[in-house]
Amino acid sequence: MEKGTSSPKTRSISYAKWGYIFILPFFIVYAIFTLYPQLLTVYNSFFEYYRDGLTVVGPNFVGLANYKALFTANSAGYVPIFKFLGNTIWLWVIGALPQFTIAMLLALFFTSTRLNIKGQQFFKTVIYMPNLIMASAFAMLFFALFSQVGPVNQLLVSSGITQQPINFLGMRIYVQSLIGLMNFLMWFGNTTILLMAGIQGIDESLFESARLDGSTSTQVFFNITMPLLMPIFIYVFITSMIGGIQMFDVPQVLTNGHGIPDNTSTTLIMYLNNFLGISKNYGMAGAVSMLLFVITAVLSTFVFKTINKK
Amino acid sequence: MAEVILKNIKKVYPNSEPKEKKGLFGKKKKDDEEKPHHTHHLQITDEGVVAVQEFSLNIKDKEFIVLVGPSGCGKSTTLRMVAGLEEISGGELYIDGVLMNSVEPKDRDIAMVFQSYALYPHMTVYDNMAYSLKIKNVPKAEIDKKVREAAEILDITQYLNRKPKALSGGQRQRVAIGRAIVRNPKVLLMDEPLSNLDAKLRNQMRAEIIKLRQRINTTFIYVTHDQTEAMTLGDRIVVMKDGFIMQIGTPQEVFDHPANLFVAGFIGTPQMNFFDAKLAIHNGDYYVETEDVSVKLSDSKQKRLKEKGVKEQPVTLGVRPEHMEIAETGIPGKIDVTELMGSSSHLHMTIKGKDAIVIVPRSDSQENHMGEEIHLSFDGSNAHVFSLEDQHNLEY
Amino acid sequence: MKKDANQSAKIKLFISRLVVYAILIFLSFLCLFFFYLMIINSSRSNAQLKTGFTIIPGGNFLKNLYNAWHDGDINIPVGMKNSFIIAMCSAILTTYFSAMTAYGTYVYDFKYKKFVHLFILAIMMIPSQVSAVGFIQLAFKYNLTNKLWMLIIPSIAAPAVYFYMRQYLEATLPLEMVEAARIDGSNEFKIFNQIVLPIMKPAIAVQMIFSFVGSWNNYFMPSLLLNKADKKTVPIMIATLRSADYSKFDMGKVYMLMLMAILPVMVIYIILSKSIIKGVTSGSVKG
Repeated sequence: MEKGTSSPKTRSISYAKWGYIFILPFFIVYAIFTLYPQLLTVYNSFFEYYRDGLTVVGPNFVGLANYKALFTANSAGYVPIFKFLGNTIWLWVIGALPQFTIAMLLALFFTSTRLNIKGQQFFKTVIYMPNLIMASAFAMLFFALFSQVGPVNQLLVSSGITQQPINFLGMRIYVQSLIGLMNFLMWFGNTTILLMAGIQGIDESLFESARLDGSTSTQVFFNITMPLLMPIFIYVFITSMIGGIQMFDVPQVLTNGHGIPDNTSTTLIMYLNNFLGISKNYGMAGAVSMLLFVITAVLSTFVFKTINKK
Repeated sequence: MAEVILKNIKKVYPNSEPKEKKGLFGKKKKDDEEKPHHTHHLQITDEGVVAVQEFSLNIKDKEFIVLVGPSGCGKSTTLRMVAGLEEISGGELYIDGVLMNSVEPKDRDIAMVFQSYALYPHMTVYDNMAYSLKIKNVPKAEIDKKVREAAEILDITQYLNRKPKALSGGQRQRVAIGRAIVRNPKVLLMDEPLSNLDAKLRNQMRAEIIKLRQRINTTFIYVTHDQTEAMTLGDRIVVMKDGFIMQIGTPQEVFDHPANLFVAGFIGTPQMNFFDAKLAIHNGDYYVETEDVSVKLSDSKQKRLKEKGVKEQPVTLGVRPEHMEIAETGIPGKIDVTELMGSSSHLHMTIKGKDAIVIVPRSDSQENHMGEEIHLSFDGSNAHVFSLEDQHNLEY
Repeated sequence: MKKDANQSAKIKLFISRLVVYAILIFLSFLCLFFFYLMIINSSRSNAQLKTGFTIIPGGNFLKNLYNAWHDGDINIPVGMKNSFIIAMCSAILTTYFSAMTAYGTYVYDFKYKKFVHLFILAIMMIPSQVSAVGFIQLAFKYNLTNKLWMLIIPSIAAPAVYFYMRQYLEATLPLEMVEAARIDGSNEFKIFNQIVLPIMKPAIAVQMIFSFVGSWNNYFMPSLLLNKADKKTVPIMIATLRSADYSKFDMGKVYMLMLMAILPVMVIYIILSKSIIKGVTSGSVKG
């Protein structure tokens, strides 16, 4: 006890030190396993540092050369980072568009007192389930189903719809659609539940009075539900975007890390992953990470703004 | 044996210290009631908001002290300083002659009953009561004996195996008290223990606390905003306002001889009536005069005023509702509403443009109707005169 | 006239209900169909699988299970063991220490309390990939690859779990409870372990589940850190299936491996779906 160690006159009972003690483990681990590596990432981005076969090149300070390289066109005539950022956004969009449309509809169905949907718990349980599935296993399953000798092609050929099996994993439109479909399946249940909670948070009497005022359900939706749901909608939308920027498992496994065909399904993180693979190009990987950080920081600012507005 | 001595105790909340405990969910904590940001009359110095100051009180062993006052007066803060839950900013606190300022709560040998009961929801009633003893490594058999004894006193033996959730408010209150008394604390602190109960249960529990007090020999410090609780429970009452002590005294003293206008108005229900009046001296005797009446003050009051050499001056005259009576002549007033209260009636009146209440026997009220003009008088022994300047009772 | 209006409203409602249920059933079908297919296919032999779709299980379930379990290349039992160790330890550490941190900033008044809280909220949004580069570099530099604890210890600092715990504390723990325990003679650690943790049980359970599932499914970081066969986790093994020459593979075994990969999470979900779904909302949207 501190009674013995300090004079009772000046030293008084204060619990402040316990606050520091309780948060200490978090910050020690954070500093060692997250903050220090993060700073190292930034540091690396200014160095030439990679492995070439068995020799390690660097680290040599190169200033902004890695960033310059990042934004320089390659031999195929495009700037990889722009293409992959574009891929990532596009792959997110084709999943998110149906995801948010369907989720909004379902949330409205579930919360409608007029429709009074039965079996909500069952439906929610089922549509949320894909969210918990191991993404790599899910992608592998789709690969198995849609491969050239897979059951889908067998069905198409045997039923005479096509003469030859379709090379689903060799054509951009199919690969991208499959990724979109998987992302949609994995996330629409989650979004539905979040939006539902948002709608349920709105004062019920507002809907009732609007209805008594003679509003149609469409008018109620646009005049009451949507404006009041906006903060939560934006929150869910942007967190989905942040998740989308980090898209990796599904395209990586589905395309075996190659973003086939022709890197049209290579995402930002897949690009980062390539630098961290055998080449251990910490310099370029650092530069890609910084770009990723900047994008999420901008998006996160929006999230915090919407939260604070509430 | 446990005397508690508070010497010039002071509590300052530094301005920078975030005292707000508002959740992100917007849920406010109950204990905010006593926190300074709710009131605007507390003194603010360079150090911060002064919640309590110049608090000196000697509490005798086994005395029952009640701290009473409106919300934000510093009564709970004072209690929490005695408990060791708040740091003492200035002054000294002794329990049994030992300076306690820097001693942790667990080493002060005190127990406390909280307004929200603060029972541990995951433990049974038995475990709730046994917890403090278990921590002190008291032998199991002794714990069992003590818990059962306390449960017996509070009549909660049949609930010992239940969780707090399965109990009613009154039962939870008993458990909270039980948890406090199993340890035979030197000082038992109670922070608004009855204010979460409904009116009927509150009366019942008040009686229980009086009984409890006779069974366990310990010093009580009890905080309440309810003056009825203060009057019925306390050996002595400490009336507080804006961080200052307004008066310390037995319930009778505080009621009969309020030290100032605030205490006069706060203690007693319905509230004391106040009128503008003049303190006059005729032939060496003190009179209190309004436009309509002149009443000679009682001998004891004459003596006290003379000793202090009080001069003629305009005053605030205070007379309790039960001390006013209907008379042929006197202060005129109009009856607004008559409330029949059983054995007596409350007449809500307008007297000289001010609201006042008069309590009259029931027989009288039957003759008095709403809208009627009547005259009121009072006895010189029941008139209180307060200085206009600083509102103190001129007798003291 | 009035009766007609009532009648037509009734019909309208009936039709809209029909449409809504049809949509719901279609989406549920979509969600279940692929997993049903996986289960069915995991019970069929390679030859049967070559014949295309069926909704009837084949008779090869146990054989596929045996083959998958004893596969020479993909040591799924070891993978499941590794995944389980990482997921379980992470779940325990992340919930315990997040609760502890949340308790620290909620109950105690200290100078940088507000700053600490805002700091943790701010770092919540930084993607884990940003620290990956430095993390991998350090792991290779200090020879810490193929160490499971490298994937476990970092879970102690989990901002999102902290945020959830903090909100839960604000909603459920009155400060008076802590003060009552102090007066009862408890010290600060005992108060946290004996009083606060039991009160936080529901929040801890929910976060343990989410954390377990998250670690179990995690692919990015483990795939960079673990390259020894006896240290690999399930997602890494599943991903290697993809790079194998599938035409030579016994597809029945492949489906079985996938089923084994998702089964633990599915079992947890089927048992605890109700509280998991509740946890989805309370964690991420501010009420």
